[in-house]
Amino acid sequence: MSREPMIKRKTAIGYKTEEKTVMRGYDLSDLAEKGYSFYDAMFILYQGSIPTSAEEEMLKYEMGEFMEHSMSPSAASAIAVIAGRPNLPTAIAASIMTFGGVHGPGAAHGYMMNKYIERAQKEGKSPEEMGKILVDEYMDAGEPVMGMGQPQHRDGDPRAEPTHLKQEELKIDGVYLKLQRSIEKHFHARREREGKSFVGVNVVGAGNTALMDIGFSPNAAWCIGSVSRGYSCAAHALYNMKRGRAWAASRNEPMVQMLDLSLIKYVGPEDREVPTQEERQEYARKQKESGEYKKWVI
Amino acid sequence: MGDLDKKVIGNLNDPRLPYDYNKRPYGTVSMDTTRPPFQWASEVAYKNAYRIVARGYDTTHLVELGYGLVDILFIDFQSRIPLIEEEKMLNYVMILSLEDGLSMPAVLSRIVARSKTFLTQACGTSILAFGHAYGAFSAFGNMLIEGLAKVEEYGKTMDAVALELVKDKLGDPALGVSDLMLKDPAAKKMFIRAEELGVAGQYIAFTKEVVKAAQQQSDHAVDLDMLGAIGATMMDLGFSPEATWAIIAITRSFGAGAHYIEEVEREDYTSLGQELTPKELYDGPEDRPVPPLEDRDKIAKPAQTFTPDEWKEAFEERKKLHGSGYAIIEEVKDPSEKT
Repeated sequence: MSREPMIKRKTAIGYKTEEKTVMRGYDLSDLAEKGYSFYDAMFILYQGSIPTSAEEEMLKYEMGEFMEHSMSPSAASAIAVIAGRPNLPTAIAASIMTFGGVHGPGAAHGYMMNKYIERAQKEGKSPEEMGKILVDEYMDAGEPVMGMGQPQHRDGDPRAEPTHLKQEELKIDGVYLKLQRSIEKHFHARREREGKSFVGVNVVGAGNTALMDIGFSPNAAWCIGSVSRGYSCAAHALYNMKRGRAWAASRNEPMVQMLDLSLIKYVGPEDREVPTQEERQEYARKQKESGEYKKWVI
Repeated sequence: MGDLDKKVIGNLNDPRLPYDYNKRPYGTVSMDTTRPPFQWASEVAYKNAYRIVARGYDTTHLVELGYGLVDILFIDFQSRIPLIEEEKMLNYVMILSLEDGLSMPAVLSRIVARSKTFLTQACGTSILAFGHAYGAFSAFGNMLIEGLAKVEEYGKTMDAVALELVKDKLGDPALGVSDLMLKDPAAKKMFIRAEELGVAGQYIAFTKEVVKAAQQQSDHAVDLDMLGAIGATMMDLGFSPEATWAIIAITRSFGAGAHYIEEVEREDYTSLGQELTPKELYDGPEDRPVPPLEDRDKIAKPAQTFTPDEWKEAFEERKKLHGSGYAIIEEVKDPSEKT
């Protein structure tokens, strides 16, 4: 059996020999034997160093709160995919892949924070001042301020503000939390001035801020959030695989199923005849010329 | 659509059809009001605008009270708070699962990274590396369950069942015993730690018997490998084979995320059509001229066979073409309890 890697790369993350597996210089087995936690190992993976106890506690808190969020796009994807009964990893992969520009956009929030902190440094401004600038720039441009608002938790995400408080309790409230607090203050004030309803901080605004204050890069933080969610999505997929009926459309189930025909609402073009091949060219020419089809183009 | 009903479209007027296709209605189906409407039914978790609740526990309460992701894995998958020793053991297992150098999940993550994707695509792809050979925790765990059922049902000893199992499965990548960890003590140390923590149970005991049986039966040195160590330990922690499969694959995905980042940081992106495949690597049919289209029917050999003997002969011939799929026979199982 060949034990050669499939691709050759220089890597600073880890190596594996017949004797041991080493990550950032530490033998993984030694780390586990000496009582380090999985959260400690995450710092070593992404930052190459062992965290302080407070930092480790913060990550434990964060990963715990990120993990389960009941029905979000990620869980819905996992449940939909498992309906066809592929191998379980497929459903989990789909759930993690739902994390993009809207669902848990941790990296985007992180890049925004870094950009404005760098500006504060260059322009000699405080995080408090820069928070107002950020809010005004985003809102003047009509763009949503990242980290604010959650479509399901309308009057405040249950995870968000407690995360800020935990960060402060652990005395690891660095420049990121200062900027985030300022963003929230000026965001709320401006919306109030404009007569708009309250929109609270979400778990990205709170959680990603904490992750960055404990040293994770935007992408590392995104990975932590979205992959942690993968565990609960696996549970939701497994529940549906073991307790639910495949295909999600059975008429023998007591409740209407997710893919029941009656749930299809069609709002497209009226039913119409398919032209024969003899009629096709003329039909297609007229259809193209009329331009009516353009309103349906997506 | 009246005119359409009178038209003859293809074979749709063929009397052998079990229905009159032309009379089949258009239009969407009315809402089914005879049954309760669809809801996202779940035993695992719910949320409202104010709380997220997993198996009855408010998740914000959990983290405020010092529970972490490792504890919540027990809650989501087993609906219980773990003992401290169980939490410690799962931490141990997850550290050992986090990173494995340039193994398949990392390679897949890196390949996806080269196409300039989101990190989450690479992390998701890395999970797809876990099948029924690499990281075969589902196959391994179900094998243990079946083995222990034989001990229970037929009153056989563990060592006797282990011997039967090894006779059948020696060399199977899902056995949990191989020559992969002859010099690395990490797998064996995991069992020792499970015993020290008092969480080792029947699955570890049975796996040890499987190791002994394999060592007797094998013509070369073999020992407990990481699949066997992690799989048996997770089962003794109460996780099902499928939950184990999921948890370990996801844990490795964090490591795969770091590989995605490093690939982007240190390597280039790959463009469509960029990579060449040298002819030295090709062993398919020799280069040959494409015949004129009008000669197609003279040259083409029909695929149909009309007797089982003809079919068998054609099948064997087709197996010789790598990539045709004829040489693979696999079982696509339905893991549902009701379908």
